Amino acid sequence: MSAQTITQESVTISKHPTSYSGYTLFAPLGGKDVWLIDMRGRVVHQWSMAYPPRLYGVLLESGNLLYAGKVNDSPLVDFEGGGGILLEVDWDGNPVWKYEDRYMHHAFYRMKNGNTMIVKWVPVPDNIAAKVKGGLPGTEMKGGMWADAFQEVTVEGKVAWEWLAYEHLDPEVDYICPLCERDEWTHASACVVMSDGNILASFSKTHTVAIIDRNTGEVRWRWGRGEIAHQNDAIVLRSGNILIFDNDVHATPYSMGFSRILEVNPKTNEMVWSYEDELRTNFYSSIMGSCQRLPNGNTLICETTTGRIFEVSPKRDIVWEFNSPFFHQSSIYGRNNYIARAYRYGSDYAGLKGNIKFREEDEPHVEGVDASRTEQAVRRRIDSLGY
Amino acid sequence: MGVRRRSEQCVTLYNPSKAYNGYTIIWVEMSKDAWLIDMRGYIVHRWRMPGSPGLHGRLLRDGNLVSSVLVKTKRELGLSGQFSGLGGLLVEVDWEGNTLWEHKAPYQEHDFYRMDNGNTLYISWDPEGHVPPDIAAKIKGGMPGTDHKGVMWGDVVREVNPAGEEVWKWLAYEHLDPEIDILCPLSNRGLYPCINSVFGMPDGDVLISMRHTDTVGIIDKATGDVKWRWGPGEIGHQHDASLLDNGNVLLFDNGCQRRGYGPTYSRVVEVNPATGKIEWEYKSNPPTDFYTATMGGCERLPNGNTLITESMKGRVFEVTPEGEMVWEYVVPFYHWFEFPHQYHGEWINALFRAHRYAPDYAGLQGRDLDPKKFDWVNRVYGPDAFRKEVV
Repeated sequence: MSAQTITQESVTISKHPTSYSGYTLFAPLGGKDVWLIDMRGRVVHQWSMAYPPRLYGVLLESGNLLYAGKVNDSPLVDFEGGGGILLEVDWDGNPVWKYEDRYMHHAFYRMKNGNTMIVKWVPVPDNIAAKVKGGLPGTEMKGGMWADAFQEVTVEGKVAWEWLAYEHLDPEVDYICPLCERDEWTHASACVVMSDGNILASFSKTHTVAIIDRNTGEVRWRWGRGEIAHQNDAIVLRSGNILIFDNDVHATPYSMGFSRILEVNPKTNEMVWSYEDELRTNFYSSIMGSCQRLPNGNTLICETTTGRIFEVSPKRDIVWEFNSPFFHQSSIYGRNNYIARAYRYGSDYAGLKGNIKFREEDEPHVEGVDASRTEQAVRRRIDSLGY
Repeated sequence: MGVRRRSEQCVTLYNPSKAYNGYTIIWVEMSKDAWLIDMRGYIVHRWRMPGSPGLHGRLLRDGNLVSSVLVKTKRELGLSGQFSGLGGLLVEVDWEGNTLWEHKAPYQEHDFYRMDNGNTLYISWDPEGHVPPDIAAKIKGGMPGTDHKGVMWGDVVREVNPAGEEVWKWLAYEHLDPEIDILCPLSNRGLYPCINSVFGMPDGDVLISMRHTDTVGIIDKATGDVKWRWGPGEIGHQHDASLLDNGNVLLFDNGCQRRGYGPTYSRVVEVNPATGKIEWEYKSNPPTDFYTATMGGCERLPNGNTLITESMKGRVFEVTPEGEMVWEYVVPFYHWFEFPHQYHGEWINALFRAHRYAPDYAGLQGRDLDPKKFDWVNRVYGPDAFRKEVV
């Protein structure tokens, strides 16, 4: 830990007139808590969960929290991002719904019909695995290879629809990154059901973001090879453009050590907007990360490995920045304040109505941030929780 | 700019009882000023150099600074973006910056080494090193079809004497084995193997770091054979290999393009060449807090500490053998830098390597090291400019 990263306050900047005011939801990777903070970094709500996050939770319009947790006995413990349980709880943490599948990982999406799209690992048949190109030779897991399945799970827990990557991806075109193991083909790190029912997926190990036809299962759009490297989050915007967190690991010819957020028009494959830091290497997360386009046009970014959540304007100015004070010891990552994803909900978000008692508007408006106060409040909170 | 990361500059941590106290050369990319700073971050000397670093300078025992400087950019030499690390002029200046010796080598790149006999080893990408097509065809790895305008440029290590006469040369393609020295699968095939450090060993052999084959190696001076190799599968696009007094090799493992899927981090490793075992390493906690994809330096100090340059972060820090950080400096000098590849330029505070010298170092005897001489610079870039108000 460098001195640079431990001496700072939590909220280091907050430009009220230009930031998208609301509440930010995140789940530090090493803990079991989900925190909702206001624009000054004050904790306004907390959910204590039975499992650590893999990787994140979202606040539904109903006010419930939908959260993916990591079970202890996942059969694929060596795979990064393995979860195993989905939990839906109400504002007070009471269980509403749960779904268990020890092969679930990374991402989930609550659909408009109330069903949930999940991402899970399934074994690739040997005859197909043998045809898959790329990867480091001889690095299959006990001789086998795994790939992703997307399953639509009903409220009753039934699988209503399924898509298998190995049935629809091309072993030649969708080859594995040459510097990665062949234990896993695709490593889907994001999955979004689009308004037309098609599915947007981010396949991190093949450096590809894809749109999958819901009816035929075919890959209708593929983008990223040669442009992005081990990207994680991908979402679809109202304009139809795709927003991608390009991590920049194993790039060609070599990585420069900085991440980017890219907005791509899938009709033309043009990059219409991008964010990188003014000093590029100051924004980098080699794993995970999230990006969210906010209603006012700003973008909320979660830079996982620095524990930093920040909001940038379309002109790339940082208008809000939060540095997580929640540190945990991990056997894999060391002492870290990693956060996989973060989401901002506007003060008028349906899921917050009647729940937030502590409104920012009730407080006298102060330009800038009373950082010491934030720090003390969070410290007290942490102390009281025995971290 | 991340607000948090911009806010800490100059010396941010100093433990005088554990640090190897001395003076550190800070020479930032694209700057013609090589600064010498004390442990508190005060500037005590400046060399006004004939160019920006290509890529670093060392203080000799006689008090002169020997360095390589950037003369012509890669564009001027007709080289593509992948040729990062050009110098072009080896130059030795005295304390006042007067040129005492120079050697023009337009394609000199990355590193040089001043030997005890006064000769200078350096690395070069010159046309003599071009890999003949029949050999290039045999070299494995790399992305197909990515050679540089039909040519694979091979590195050359050259040795010149004080009179500028070449006394030894080593062409990579003549001595590397296409079956063993395999390019990283994602690398361009325009560079082979991209040597980025050269170190003259006391027995005359030459220790080199080959970035695109993820290998450090020792060249037998007499035969040119590579008599020791280490690295593939262990390290990724490493830099700065040097020989320690105990016979081990210290190197900066960038971790860029390291094999496997997972968090990226840099580390400094000390490997025993006899066994190939890592006997010491430094990683941050969490490891992802210390990472530079390109460049990077490490220097074992006489008290056993290690001075580390996290180049692209503009951060120089010193750790004890136990891995405790006892000094940290964040470079406050920013310079405009044209990036390779498709990216636009940016203001960077990056540096290739920092070097530390104790007050009793022969080259510092009798020198005026009073920071007051640089009062005006210290007011802007010294520790007082960044001191936080105590509430």
